[in-house]
Amino acid sequence: MKRPTLLLVAVLLVLSFALISYRIIWLKYPILPAARERVWRLSMDARVKGGERETTVMIGLPSIHRDQMIAEERIRSGTISFNLLREGLNQIGVWSGTISPEGETIGYGATIKVRPQRSIKNRMQNLQPYPSSVGREEQELARRLVRKWDSLPPPDRLQRIVAAAKGFLGIPLPEDEDVRQWSAFQEKHSQLEAFLLLLRAGDLPARVVEGLQLADSIANSTITWIEVWTGQEWEHLQPEKGEIYQKPAPFLALTTGLPVVRVVNGELSEIRWTLNRLIISQWRMQFERIMSSNQFLDRWSLFRLPADFQGTFRILILVPIGALMICLLRNIVGFPTFGVFLPVLMALAFRNTGLAYGLGVFWGVVLLGYVVRRQIDKLRLLLVPRLSVILTLVILCIIFFALLGNKIGLREFMAVGLLPFVILTMTIERFFVIMEEAGPREALWTAVGSAGVAVITYKILQLEPLQLTFFVYPELLLVVAAIQVLVGRYTGYRFLELFRFRGFRGSS
Amino acid sequence: MIFKAARWLREIGVLGMNRRNAEYIMRFNPRSFFPLVDDKLKTKQLAKAHQIPTPILYHVIEHHGDIGELQELVKDHQEFVVKPARGAGGSGIILVSEHSEEGFTKQNGEVIPLKDLTYHISDILSGIYSLEGLEDRAFIEALVHPNTVFDAITYLGVPDIRIIVYRGVPVMSMVRLPTRASDGKANLHRGAIGVGIDMGEGTTLEGVHHSRIVSHHPDTNKPVTGIQVPHWENMLLIAARTGDMTGLDYLGVDLVIDRDQGPLLLELNARPGLQIQLANQAGLLGRFELIDNAPPEIFSTPEMRVAWALDTFSARTPS
Repeated sequence: MKRPTLLLVAVLLVLSFALISYRIIWLKYPILPAARERVWRLSMDARVKGGERETTVMIGLPSIHRDQMIAEERIRSGTISFNLLREGLNQIGVWSGTISPEGETIGYGATIKVRPQRSIKNRMQNLQPYPSSVGREEQELARRLVRKWDSLPPPDRLQRIVAAAKGFLGIPLPEDEDVRQWSAFQEKHSQLEAFLLLLRAGDLPARVVEGLQLADSIANSTITWIEVWTGQEWEHLQPEKGEIYQKPAPFLALTTGLPVVRVVNGELSEIRWTLNRLIISQWRMQFERIMSSNQFLDRWSLFRLPADFQGTFRILILVPIGALMICLLRNIVGFPTFGVFLPVLMALAFRNTGLAYGLGVFWGVVLLGYVVRRQIDKLRLLLVPRLSVILTLVILCIIFFALLGNKIGLREFMAVGLLPFVILTMTIERFFVIMEEAGPREALWTAVGSAGVAVITYKILQLEPLQLTFFVYPELLLVVAAIQVLVGRYTGYRFLELFRFRGFRGSS
Repeated sequence: MIFKAARWLREIGVLGMNRRNAEYIMRFNPRSFFPLVDDKLKTKQLAKAHQIPTPILYHVIEHHGDIGELQELVKDHQEFVVKPARGAGGSGIILVSEHSEEGFTKQNGEVIPLKDLTYHISDILSGIYSLEGLEDRAFIEALVHPNTVFDAITYLGVPDIRIIVYRGVPVMSMVRLPTRASDGKANLHRGAIGVGIDMGEGTTLEGVHHSRIVSHHPDTNKPVTGIQVPHWENMLLIAARTGDMTGLDYLGVDLVIDRDQGPLLLELNARPGLQIQLANQAGLLGRFELIDNAPPEIFSTPEMRVAWALDTFSARTPS
């Protein structure tokens, strides 16, 4: 194979590969856009009651981070206004306005993809300050209690501290005075505070997170847990029983270090969180992110087209694969077809008519056209008027099929109107000429070849996963072009030539 | 099995369609020279300028308006041939052996009325038989009286000689014999027989009929092998000169042997078929490679190229 050809192929492949890698690595596109994945559908509905003054409701919403993707967010705010606010790690939805006496319904919905947590190497987390309700003496007490574990690695230290908070103060036992003071502290404070105090004293970064249990559920309130940084990852700690959850922890975090719901000048008479498990294609998760992204490739994504044009492009983007099929069948296998584009256009028409009816109608019209064309030959019409007569015949056939379809209630027959009538006309003429010049055998072979390629192309166009993959990564067309270039330089024997030249003596 | 068959074909040097298109037609035949061979009238003019004999041209019909004068044009010629200038594969050619008030008698004995013939010429002008469907010209030329050497193995029609020329060197050749099925036409895909010719001696080998090897003509049942082709070296020389004449380095040269005038150039083909390999039981690729490796001095004159080919491409020489 020639160097310039290989160079062109290499350039096409590298370009395509680079664009796809960029999308996958930097823009976080799914590798298999058509693959199904499990996501959660979250919805929150709340009823707000207010007074004379302006009411503000602040509710923590799931936020996008490396372990979590959010798409298809919907807000319901009725007559009051809605704003989005970032507070630290948190994404807060703020509904505010004067609320009528009968109250207002607010809501939020989103599709959430939780990605499995990967461990983060060598990332430092800041220690939080001691809880504000804890005094100086109690801090020192806590230090005294946990000091003996300072040399242990963080995960082991966490184990000991959790045990300590539950009353097992460890060996060697602390002085009696300290034990007495610690039980006094535990009576005065909640278990949550006891955990936070000891974790802080043990130099383990910890934070209080509120959120929901990840399960098909309806809940009226959120739950609280403690996340503890052990140098590699966040451990999830149940704040009453001191249980450490196995990973992945089944939680959806809403706020960190803040209550999920805060209301100023009013109250929430009712709040309900619903979580449902859904299975959708991966591209749906991309859709909205791409729509709102400012990245160059995202702004030039096909997803940005108006929805009613997207369908057309999902098909159009696969047509080159159909053309590639024709290249393969003609140059590698050696099948004859009527022209290059007829089978592709037939395949497009089959999308409306279905395969069986499409093929039936197509060859019905061509055979009828052929019979008429034979008769017309005797009339000695000049070329262009003769083609026009055939065209008129084709249109009449299509009208007839549409009326017939209407009568017997077959939608597929009415869809024949979209068959490429010009191609039908030319096919009739080509069929006639091949029939006359090369005989019925050749004509039939060509007809079978064309129909075969059309069917294969149709099947490819109908492959939804393929449509989606090419729609998300249009640069895959460069790969198709590369293969087309390679086929264009294929100088080996065509498959059918092996049979054609079988007459060589000694060949098997 | 498939790879074995492909490897075997490669070993005996058979040229396939893809390689022919990509490595010989595209490489050796510049597109801009195609009109010279695609248009038979242009080929005729060119041949005349190079003193290569062709059948005598009677008339050229370029406009639909001229068709009415057909009878006037052919009144001096009892027999003639009507051809489209850009016709492919022998389509649109009508051989007339005599004509009268009733109509025109075709070579196969069928009589067609005048209006049918004018209709046919009108079709030619409209481009029905032309390669790209473009408007075309029709021309009327002298009917060839084939040399009697092939009479026993010809069913009507005119047998012709196809010689493949590569870089000005005749490479392979065959006689194409019309059959009943081919309707007097000498085109293999219409059912004519191709009979290979020993390049060194000019004698016929076996024939190929629809991809099958045959030793007898299917209609006359006479053997096709061992016939000495007349004017052999002369024809090879004409073929070798067409390469210089057209600037095309890979050509199919079609000749007829007229009883009185000897070899005449009928037409040239820039995309010659591959069936000739079966008729000769030899691959073109192998012979092309021999030419590519030939000493450069043999390319200096057509005579030297022919002499080299006569020595090298005998069917007995392995290639």
